[in-house]
Amino acid sequence: MIENTILCVKWGDKYGREYVEKLKQQCEENCSVPFNFYCLTDKKEEPYDILLPTTWDKYEGLHSRYRNVQAPSNMWAYRKLYMFQLDKVVGGGGWNVSETDFKSIAGDKFLYLDLDVIIHQDLKYFFELSMARPWIVRGWWNDTNECRKNYAAMKSTPINSSVIRWNRSQLVRVYDHIRKNLDVLFFTYPTIDNYLNHFWYNMWYEDLPEEELAKKSDFNIFPPGTIYSYYRGNTWPNDVEEKKLRPDHKICLFNNSAETNDVEELKSLW
Amino acid sequence: MVSIAEDGYNVHLKFTPKLANDWKNAMLASSELAVGNYQYLTRRVLDSMNASQLESKLWLVSTLQEFDIKPQRVALLAGWFAQYIVPLMFDTFPECEWIENFEIDHDVTPISYKFNKRYKDENRYKINMRNVMIKPLKFRQNPNTPIPKEDVYDVIINCACEHMYPMWKFREMNNAVQRNPLLVLQSSNDARHDDHINCVQSEEELIDQARIKHVIYSGTKLLPNKSIRFMVIGR
Repeated sequence: MIENTILCVKWGDKYGREYVEKLKQQCEENCSVPFNFYCLTDKKEEPYDILLPTTWDKYEGLHSRYRNVQAPSNMWAYRKLYMFQLDKVVGGGGWNVSETDFKSIAGDKFLYLDLDVIIHQDLKYFFELSMARPWIVRGWWNDTNECRKNYAAMKSTPINSSVIRWNRSQLVRVYDHIRKNLDVLFFTYPTIDNYLNHFWYNMWYEDLPEEELAKKSDFNIFPPGTIYSYYRGNTWPNDVEEKKLRPDHKICLFNNSAETNDVEELKSLW
Repeated sequence: MVSIAEDGYNVHLKFTPKLANDWKNAMLASSELAVGNYQYLTRRVLDSMNASQLESKLWLVSTLQEFDIKPQRVALLAGWFAQYIVPLMFDTFPECEWIENFEIDHDVTPISYKFNKRYKDENRYKINMRNVMIKPLKFRQNPNTPIPKEDVYDVIINCACEHMYPMWKFREMNNAVQRNPLLVLQSSNDARHDDHINCVQSEEELIDQARIKHVIYSGTKLLPNKSIRFMVIGR
């Protein structure tokens, strides 16, 4: 059985099927270890598709930022957290979401990738990480002062959920935490990154030695030089040039809070 | 001693030498904790000290006094730096034993403890990093006092209801472990700020949100920043 599994989420119409296919192709070209590939989606079309649950749909638009406005909420991104329930061995019982085929997802080492990424280097790196804690993107391009200043306002989060690496069952408690507090969380946190930042990461202790930090933050963070942002840069304050590809890094993100037409811009770079 | 008195209020913030010393050290710490040349923390401290902040707290404490309410053990929800409410409470209500401030912002702890060092040193002021909409208040039985754990807090103050989920959730979550404490709630109609996620338009809406059945007081106040503040006291 192949233990490495790459997951993505396609929900709604922002990204077409070609983004999933392109991501799959990039993985095949840039991963030197065997892997399973699945797309969690609201519309099954391909053999690798897994149907997303709809349990949380009723919370769409609950946050004040989206109430009384026509703009789409960032609820779609929350849906990626369904995958954190992957805690049981294949064929095992006790699944929380019986309406989906999540239990057919194979593998024990999971790597989640947003659809809007460019992979530069071998993904094997992610499957060989020490897994005492799961890993998530640290937006090194952010000014830490801004992150701390905006902590209550829930802007400028230091972490970014575009790439997450975890082992089976490692994030079940995050999933359970969400499941138990759905009304409060969807009302309070406009994005998944705000939520993860408030409950599962602690930027105030980033300078602590690893053994101390491990007690304070549930997530480990990919080090500088691993993942960067096409629109925000690489590391604050010395390397923040925008719209620059850095092929010596592993992955390029296209997080820009929908401020520009990133969909077309990314396509032009394929 | 200098009293800063606002017209119409029967309570004053007593500007004592001890308060001056604590506040000086807090302001100094806020500037030293700022990383680099962007002194965001100093700015936040100053925001927490504006006229509207003071007026809201004077209104709250003054109203408690008017209704002869004598808080003893106070849970202060999302109290921020709490440099106004804590001395106002202790100065106005001699029977007030202690105040516990439940916060989520880690920057608050070192600064708030400096603002209120004189009370912290006497074990009368404590900060607890806790999201009160996710976890119930934590009750530690003090073997030196006869207070039953279901009656640890006789008054719950929340001057930041606009920052969080409606208060019925807090009540429901703490119902099993807390007898019927008095709720003192403030909220705002000021939706200009990103972190004001739950503004209300009337005191009735605030009452509804907290599912208060017995209202002792409800009122509104136009603040110097032109926003309207609502206050409700009840159970």
